[in-house]
Amino acid sequence: MALTVKQRGQHIATFRFVEVRLMEILSSWVPSTPEMEAKLLFGPHIWDTAQAADALGKRAHELRLPLQHSIAPTAAYLEVIAELSAVDGAARRIGALYDVMLPGIAARYRRYLQRTDNLMDAPSVRVIEGILTAGERMVREADKLRTELPALQCSDQAWLQQLAAREERVLEMVADDGADEARRAA
Amino acid sequence: MSGALFGADPARDPRFVVKERWIDCDNLARDHPLHRVQFFHRQMNEEVDSLEASAQALVDFPEAAWALRLQLARQCADEARHALAYRAQVERRGGHVGQFPVLNFQYRIITARDDLISRLVIQNRSFEAGGLDAIAYGVEEARKLGDHELAEFYEAQLADEISHVRFANEWIRKSLKEDPRTLLRMGVSLNAAAQAFRQVMGSEGTEGADYPAAVQARLDAGFTPEEVETAAQMQAAQAQAQAAAGGPARA
Repeated sequence: MALTVKQRGQHIATFRFVEVRLMEILSSWVPSTPEMEAKLLFGPHIWDTAQAADALGKRAHELRLPLQHSIAPTAAYLEVIAELSAVDGAARRIGALYDVMLPGIAARYRRYLQRTDNLMDAPSVRVIEGILTAGERMVREADKLRTELPALQCSDQAWLQQLAAREERVLEMVADDGADEARRAA
Repeated sequence: MSGALFGADPARDPRFVVKERWIDCDNLARDHPLHRVQFFHRQMNEEVDSLEASAQALVDFPEAAWALRLQLARQCADEARHALAYRAQVERRGGHVGQFPVLNFQYRIITARDDLISRLVIQNRSFEAGGLDAIAYGVEEARKLGDHELAEFYEAQLADEISHVRFANEWIRKSLKEDPRTLLRMGVSLNAAAQAFRQVMGSEGTEGADYPAAVQARLDAGFTPEEVETAAQMQAAQAQAQAAAGGPARA
């Protein structure tokens, strides 16, 4: 069954929460990461994640939620975000964000695109497609930097894999996706 | 330098030697062959400072209006681009990152304030507004020297900085309208920032560093004609006083 308008709003507002947190985490890493090249990688991506949050916030309003409304994700996903936020060191931060979190979030966006009605929810589809394109560019820019400066490559692949596994284990990011209500209404 | 006037240092990698006072830096004479490399290196680090200050504002003020946070996020992207561009200027002239000591006073003075409007007043409306004058002067100077590529870079940077000063002016005016006591807070913060700036720069660091007010840039940035006129008069008086004292007219 396709997502209801309410479910769409809940997903979009949850995605917005996550993009705002990414913006804040990147912001916190700028003054606290010593390597200048890492700061200059994060800087423009603060803007990318802010734009993503802004577009989602506008779309949330179209889906009958307040303008720029955010909904916190599940507790399990909040833990993953908290773990990302606590990562220290340029190489680990870059690895955690660009190798684990962004691909993980992209997979969640794609699952949303599969579930939603591409005709009736076309504005959300457009917003998410734009975010996916920006996310791919962000990852490419991180890869390019790491090719130029191999010291920024995270050498602890096992740690990255564990982080990725924890992210993947959180099957549902949306705290209350309204599925029960939709089933009852049906 | 610590206490109420200065926040903590931002992190720097081992290539950088961080100094606290202007006098402790390599302040090469204008006719030194590395003077321009040093200038661009200093600008590069100042852009990083500015990026860091805007990023820290996003962290410290999560409850700020979303429209303002969005503009701060944009500023982060702009300052990062500027730092990259200044780095390219350094390297084009055979210099390298870390070649000269750096100061992080801007970040430290801005983040010492615990409210966002004060930070906007200091970072965008003071430091960056002063930058408008310096960049506008740089455009003219680069054109006179036939360095049109540098002039174009400055023009692009000027357009970005005007946007930063403008949005700060808009939010400061909005805040003043909503709560007139903002004016008191602004005064206290500006006074503290001026005190801190004097500690860092001393008289040596500011001597001859006056640029004529970039009238159109300041108007574009949302200053009123009266404010621009005042800035122009103050800068002219400062230049006159320095000339009378036998100091250099301009850095």
